[in-house]
Amino acid sequence: MLSELIDFLGSLHPLIVHLPIGIVLLTIAIDVFMRNKNNSVHRIITLGWFFSFFSGLLAALFGWFLGDNGYYFESQLGVHRWSGIAFVSLCFLIWLLKFLNFRFSKSSTRFVNLTAIVLLTITGHFGGEMTHGQNYLVENLPFAKKKISTTSIEKDRRSEVDSLFVYEDLLQPVFEQKCMACHNSKNTYGGLNMSDFKSLVKGGNSGAGIQKGNPYESLIYKRVSFPHDHPKFMPPAGVPLSYDQIATLEWWIDNGAKKQLPVSLARKDPKIQRLMEVQYGLDLREKSFLETLKLDPPSKTSLKALEEDKFMWRFLNPEESFLDITYTRNTIEKNDLISLQQVKNNITWLNLSNTNLKDDDLGYLVELPHLTRLKIQKNSRITDNGIKAIKGLENLSQLNLYGTGVTDAAFESFSMMKGLKKLFLWNTRVTPTGIEKFKALHPKVEVVAGLR
Amino acid sequence: MHCNDHHHDNKNYSRRDFLTKTSLGLGALSLGSLISPVNTYGNSEFLNLLESDKMKLPHFVPKAKRVIYLFQSGAPSQLDLFDYKPKLNEMFGQEVPKSIIGEQRLTGMSSGQNTFPMAGSLFDFKQHGQSGAWMSELMPHTSKIVDELCFIKSMYTEAINHDPAMTMIQTGSELPGRPSIGSWLSYGLGTDNKNLPEFVVLVTKGKSGQPLYSRLWGNGFLPSQHQGVQFRSGKDAVLYLENPPGVTSGIREEQLNSLKKLQNIQHADVGDPEILTKISNYEMAYRMQTSVPDVMDISDEPDYIFDLYGEDSRNPGTFAANCLLARKLAEKDVKFIQLYHRGWDQHGNLPRDIKRQAKETDQASAALIQDLKQRGMLEDTLVIWGGEFGRTNYSQGLLKPDNYGRDHHPRCFTIFMAGAGVKKGISLGATDEFGYNITERPVHIHDFQATLMHILGIDHEKLTFKFQGRRYRLTDVHGKVVQEVLA
Repeated sequence: MLSELIDFLGSLHPLIVHLPIGIVLLTIAIDVFMRNKNNSVHRIITLGWFFSFFSGLLAALFGWFLGDNGYYFESQLGVHRWSGIAFVSLCFLIWLLKFLNFRFSKSSTRFVNLTAIVLLTITGHFGGEMTHGQNYLVENLPFAKKKISTTSIEKDRRSEVDSLFVYEDLLQPVFEQKCMACHNSKNTYGGLNMSDFKSLVKGGNSGAGIQKGNPYESLIYKRVSFPHDHPKFMPPAGVPLSYDQIATLEWWIDNGAKKQLPVSLARKDPKIQRLMEVQYGLDLREKSFLETLKLDPPSKTSLKALEEDKFMWRFLNPEESFLDITYTRNTIEKNDLISLQQVKNNITWLNLSNTNLKDDDLGYLVELPHLTRLKIQKNSRITDNGIKAIKGLENLSQLNLYGTGVTDAAFESFSMMKGLKKLFLWNTRVTPTGIEKFKALHPKVEVVAGLR
Repeated sequence: MHCNDHHHDNKNYSRRDFLTKTSLGLGALSLGSLISPVNTYGNSEFLNLLESDKMKLPHFVPKAKRVIYLFQSGAPSQLDLFDYKPKLNEMFGQEVPKSIIGEQRLTGMSSGQNTFPMAGSLFDFKQHGQSGAWMSELMPHTSKIVDELCFIKSMYTEAINHDPAMTMIQTGSELPGRPSIGSWLSYGLGTDNKNLPEFVVLVTKGKSGQPLYSRLWGNGFLPSQHQGVQFRSGKDAVLYLENPPGVTSGIREEQLNSLKKLQNIQHADVGDPEILTKISNYEMAYRMQTSVPDVMDISDEPDYIFDLYGEDSRNPGTFAANCLLARKLAEKDVKFIQLYHRGWDQHGNLPRDIKRQAKETDQASAALIQDLKQRGMLEDTLVIWGGEFGRTNYSQGLLKPDNYGRDHHPRCFTIFMAGAGVKKGISLGATDEFGYNITERPVHIHDFQATLMHILGIDHEKLTFKFQGRRYRLTDVHGKVVQEVLA
């Protein structure tokens, strides 16, 4: 009964605190602006200090009750509490002296007035920080930079999704902002320290913080996802965790709560992927081989090896490192294939169609590590043996062989090409059964063999 | 041959360049000549610095290397071909609800009508393929390949008449004078085959309807080697390309070499970059003397290819024959191949006329896409099919149970694309149940152009050309890439 009454009075603190603020400011204003003071003015001022003291005393008392219920953190509370008490004491002292007709000199009046205002400001500010959250004042300054994203992933890191980790880059900043005022290595409220991964998992007095793979048994997830009026809801003051932060936490624990869980794993869960894209501005789309590839541009001298009247070439990217090369004559020679070796690292698309290419010539193409599209169609002398020679091209995604002499035997070589996505076999000796068999084994490779 | 290197040599200036780029104009010029007469023009370092900020193209790895644009001039009726609106059949003959047209602008051809009766299509619609795309019976061949296609049913434009609308879709502006899409690509990406122009135009012969002007494939303010070259059907694909009787190839070569010497002297003297353009045009023409007859020769195509494109394809100058040629030009790495097929402007007698038009275009369009596919060329070729705007849901003129006409309608129309860079078997955007206004994902002409350039590896905001004191681009100050259609 008594504790309930005390709780109730404690909740009146935010109301009562405004009384001494108003009264003391009015009292000081009267003191400052009424130059010719007669006796009744002096009595009003004395009375003003009394009411400042009295309402301040009530506010401090109720505040003490409120601070005792454990929702507030000592380091924040301390300054507020003691500056408040100092303010009330000052009011009492001034009133007492005035009541005893002590004559304040002009300068000492100024000094006590100023001290009262300073104490009031300090008390008020720290009180505000407790209810509105830290930085509430700075945040809303008209010219201050406002944070839009709830987590601070710098813009240039957003594109490097593959090097981001859920805990370090997405969750830890949230903990820092929302929880670590009370749960850090110095102040371990409830025995919980959230400043490092190990002790976060370990948890506090109530049990384990994280149960890997089981968010609904993990106290940290439970506490932040309680209804806001639940007595154990966290954080007790300030802005609660947002929906996306809670969802990210849940997804992280669900997936094993590893310290090094990569953000890119979100690709497996469309809901989380979308959330990451919208909330954190991350681009999680699967990248093709070329998008992840970084190459040095070929040297000017090596490009000279590609004779102007035989090769047509252009760069495929602004970094000028990916080459798209077409042979423009009807019959390719050994020397031409050798000159291609000069830029072998940079060749990404290569068109040698209709150039009288032979099986032996294909051996020169094995050493093109970054080749993704190869067009060698309309070379009737190419057979399965030639394809065998290039089966090691692991980044090759498109291979055009229409109008060549390949048969079903070539499927064995196609199976070895790990990156293969599209295969063009129109006008070859490949049979429909051969294609069916291959498709059954490699359903992701699209085989185009003429019109259905 | 390095084909990215297509910009002017740093030392060449037009009169305008000369006057503007000598920094302080003629004052600086005279000052410069006092100090060092050699440096005033041509070799001056500071002149070169002004031009040194060259753009690097492509801006990112392209999806497509070339485009075949099957332009249906006159504006085909989306309501009779692609955009199925059963509501119009249900309410056949009733007035278009006031709430649908509102205060919108109509053309002078139908705005005076007392009545705007809704005309449901007389043609049957069915769903096709796994994508379930609705297609009218007018396009049986295209219906078979809908799973290869990407429809945009929510295209719109501001222009309400043919010439501004065509100029808009080809050049990004309703006013004539800007470079055509193909010219921009030629300027930006250069050539992939130095024996043929980068931009070739094929017009179906013997068609009537809205006129076509060569400025639709004009280079505008870009250097003139970027203009589209029209290949005609019949004996001379390119006019005046052949040597006159009695002039052998050797004589012609000698003549051109001498001419080049003279022009180089003139260029050294005057420094006008258009002289270099002229030289390159002569050289291109000379190379085209052998390359053009070669590419226009379809005699070695097997019968089953002609069967695929349809009987018309044996008859040079038809849409089908042009589609076949388009494939051959694409095989030769021509960057932008534009076909024009006129006669879609059916203000009256639409059911009769559209049947004929569809018959002329349907089979060959589908055949081209299939033919490119089996050759693996859909991987780096983008095919586009569409007109300059749409047609109204109400009848222009008297609505009869078996006859109606449709007026111009810029507020919605349908195009389709296939090939490199676009998703297969999808349909983007939607119109209301009356087929009049767009209800979902409007795509403006500039958005379409931005998307086209994106697929070719160009950021449409970065490919610019400075002319008359400001930088121009195809999409002017508009356009957003339509991400939804990108594969």
